[in-house]
Amino acid sequence: MKLLESLFPTNDFSLIAVILGMPLIGAFVNGIWGRRLGKPAVRLMALAAVGTSFIASLIAFLILDHAVQAAGHGHQRLYFTAWEWMHTNGGRAGSNVVIDARFSIDALNGVMMLIVTGVGFLIHLYASSYMENDPGFHKFFAYLNLFIFSMLVLILGDNLPVLFVGWEGVGLCSYLLIGFWYDHMPNAAAGKKAFIANRIGDFGLICAMFLLVHYTGALDWTGIQNNASILADNPADAYQIHVWPLGGGTYQGFFKFLQPAEPFTISAATAVGLALLLGCAGKSAQIPLYVWLPDAMAGPTPVSALIHAATMVTAGIYLVCRLSFVFVLSPFVMTVVLCVGAATALLAATIALVQTDIKKVLAYSTVSQLGFMFMGVGAGAFTAGFFHVLTHAFFKACLFLGAGSVIHAMHARIHDDDKAQDMRNMGGLKKYMPYTYWTFLVSTLAIAGCPLLSGFFSKDEILFRAFVNHATSPVAAKLAARHISVWQQPEWIGKAVYAVGVLTAAMTAFYMFRCFFMTFHGSFRGWAIGRGSLLSHPDHGDHAAASHAGHGDHDHGDHDEHGDHDDHGHHHEDLTVPGPAPHESPLPMTAPLIILATLAAVAGILNPAPFTHMLPLEHWLEPVFEDAVKVGVKVAENAEHLEYGLMVPGVLAFVVGLGLAWAVYFKAEGKPAKRWAEAAPGLHRAAYNKWYVDEFYEATVLSAVDALAETAAAFDQWFVDGILAKLSSLIVAALGTVLRTLQTGVVHVYAAAMVVGFVVISWFFVAPHAQASTESTPNGDYVVTAAPGMGYTYRWDADGNGEPDKPDFSEQSSVKVHLDPGKDVKVRLEVTNAFGRQATVEIPLSRPQAQNTMELGQN
Amino acid sequence: MPITHYLVLGALLFTIGGIGFLVRRNVLVTLMSIELMLNAVNLTLIAFNGAYPESHTGQMFAFFLIAAEAAEVAVGLAIVLALFRIRRTVRSDEADLLKN
Repeated sequence: MKLLESLFPTNDFSLIAVILGMPLIGAFVNGIWGRRLGKPAVRLMALAAVGTSFIASLIAFLILDHAVQAAGHGHQRLYFTAWEWMHTNGGRAGSNVVIDARFSIDALNGVMMLIVTGVGFLIHLYASSYMENDPGFHKFFAYLNLFIFSMLVLILGDNLPVLFVGWEGVGLCSYLLIGFWYDHMPNAAAGKKAFIANRIGDFGLICAMFLLVHYTGALDWTGIQNNASILADNPADAYQIHVWPLGGGTYQGFFKFLQPAEPFTISAATAVGLALLLGCAGKSAQIPLYVWLPDAMAGPTPVSALIHAATMVTAGIYLVCRLSFVFVLSPFVMTVVLCVGAATALLAATIALVQTDIKKVLAYSTVSQLGFMFMGVGAGAFTAGFFHVLTHAFFKACLFLGAGSVIHAMHARIHDDDKAQDMRNMGGLKKYMPYTYWTFLVSTLAIAGCPLLSGFFSKDEILFRAFVNHATSPVAAKLAARHISVWQQPEWIGKAVYAVGVLTAAMTAFYMFRCFFMTFHGSFRGWAIGRGSLLSHPDHGDHAAASHAGHGDHDHGDHDEHGDHDDHGHHHEDLTVPGPAPHESPLPMTAPLIILATLAAVAGILNPAPFTHMLPLEHWLEPVFEDAVKVGVKVAENAEHLEYGLMVPGVLAFVVGLGLAWAVYFKAEGKPAKRWAEAAPGLHRAAYNKWYVDEFYEATVLSAVDALAETAAAFDQWFVDGILAKLSSLIVAALGTVLRTLQTGVVHVYAAAMVVGFVVISWFFVAPHAQASTESTPNGDYVVTAAPGMGYTYRWDADGNGEPDKPDFSEQSSVKVHLDPGKDVKVRLEVTNAFGRQATVEIPLSRPQAQNTMELGQN
Repeated sequence: MPITHYLVLGALLFTIGGIGFLVRRNVLVTLMSIELMLNAVNLTLIAFNGAYPESHTGQMFAFFLIAAEAAEVAVGLAIVLALFRIRRTVRSDEADLLKN
């Protein structure tokens, strides 16, 4: 420990640079030289990069822990300033806004860092086998490493702009990875969808940043925290924001109701909180921006695991936790977070109930679980919400990787993605894939909330907290004295959310076990399995390389075989012909499964809330959240006694969900489900089609955007292209046609033109040009200057008497004439040139009558 | 003999050369017409030099012109040869390679 601390002094904690730098180097090397390095080197580079990062994270965590121990109770941060970035003098709060490329580790992001690098490493390991046969192997790992790097920047950044760099980075990487098989249209579309949905959220985050720097004069965590109270405390009217929801225009007649008499007045805290919530909803797939996440499973399965479980989607929860002290200032925002979380959890769970694609079930399950996490943080139980992030990372990563393993096996015969992922084609895989089966079972139990597994503890804590916690405004009393009323959270909301949560938990147990039973139990429905084909399997190592070369996971194998992507749709084999049995995945894929399943099982001991008061995670995170919780969260008085009582519905939800799934999908092999679907076909279809939310967006927002785009395109086509471009090109072309006739290529025509030109120019020089320009000054002096010419001499008649002033021509090229007001004169100029030819011009000069006597007097 | 005679002869020669340049189609004749014009100019320069013998400017210009003529003819004949190789003709109205 001493050695470590001497190596990495805590006042300038450069170990963070190692944690961040390794994945970046990995991405760089694999991205630039990956194609030439070959697969083993790429694999080594990628795994070593994340592995080193994980080891460095562990060391950093130990040092942080030691620092916390040494300092006693308190919020410890280890800082590392990479470089000075931006400074401004004099923010609104009179402070200097300092934005450096600065990173820090504290209790919250220390844990997060371990999850990202640890689970990230396992997913890398898994992917190194899973993506074995993909031609874009090196590209994939470059993206994956870059993803880890971006995520680490996001969580380790010490201020919002640095966080935003990582925030955009994961957005970019998710776009690249979801659309990894970009030559397949739906994948590219899914990548685009994720990107755009995230951009909407990012708009919120940017607004929040502007508001924060405007009101608190700081963007780093400590600075915001120190000044946060100002957001709600309303020391001046400037800290209140007036909002006209539908614009400040005047509506007439029927539409008058759209125009409120008064604008809504919200506090700065509410504005900041809502803007932040929009950002978090985008990243963490909450209503209304959740639509990208289910589509994000179009990417390779390890990517789904990485995005869904360990990294990107939890960024929103992380940010809410990070800025918990801002959120708690506004009970309204807390309530919105709570309700959005509950609604998302329920909606996604209903969709997951009827999906048949194994990855889609998991994807909606992720959205639902993220809703749970939002419920937790919305209830002010930031530790509980974050604990669910932690446990979810383990079991959801395990589930996704397990699903990948199953799909990998299904690809032995079924090369069509949709069919290979369809649970109706699976069944009975327990026999063939024991490792996948058992790890999947453990994770399913964990996510369903089986008592004593990790998911039970985290979910139970969230539900309990939602019931007993109550968000209050910390400054309500103060503001009441100044006659400013604050919106307060009604008592019943927590109870309602609790009920929704329990219902969702039961649905979670049901759809997860439905997925489990359909995949692993019953009889295999994929294809006929040949006699003895189990025995004829070569061992796994050879297997992946030999008989399986070309269909590792997706259609990417078909690139090798056919070189033509469209081909794979026609590549159906006759599934009634007996084929080899599905097989277990190779070791690099099963090892992460086992580790993750173990973690999913035991992670609960970090915070086994109902059973003991030894709560390591809560204790560890307490300094981060204590200020926020102290000011903004009121806990019901009899909470302690309610704890066990409230646990019962949670456990019941698990039992009911499991029991129902067992009865329907294990006992009756799904027949009742078919009957139900037939009994209510509309309902089933609506749920299966995700309640038509995508179609709703299509019809409203997207059609409006499309209409705008079409108008713009028509304008471009008709006006810009048609008139501006075509017309001007037509003019130039016509001019060209005329000039082209002059270009005969015949020497004589050119010579004749030359002669004509010569004659014209000669004539110009031979003929004299009498021209003059006049300058005047206000006092009546006029200077007439003759234009110069070759061999010109001049004779002037300046006094206008008709006789030349001097009898001879001279070099004098200008004359000066003085005129009194109201007088005029005709100056005559005679010019003779070198050939003795003469020309004459008369220049009339006149001075206007003076307007007043003052001017006269001056003259 | 007054200088006017020389100048009239020079103008006459120049005009004949110019008309020949404009109306004849044979490139070789065209070149010869150019020579005629240049020599008309040479004659004029020498005549001026004879009229004002104290300065040698006219003679100097005439020498320069002769040198320029020699260079011009060398290049001109090379072009005519190249043209003949490509087009099998020395008629200038058929030599419209510069077009387009």
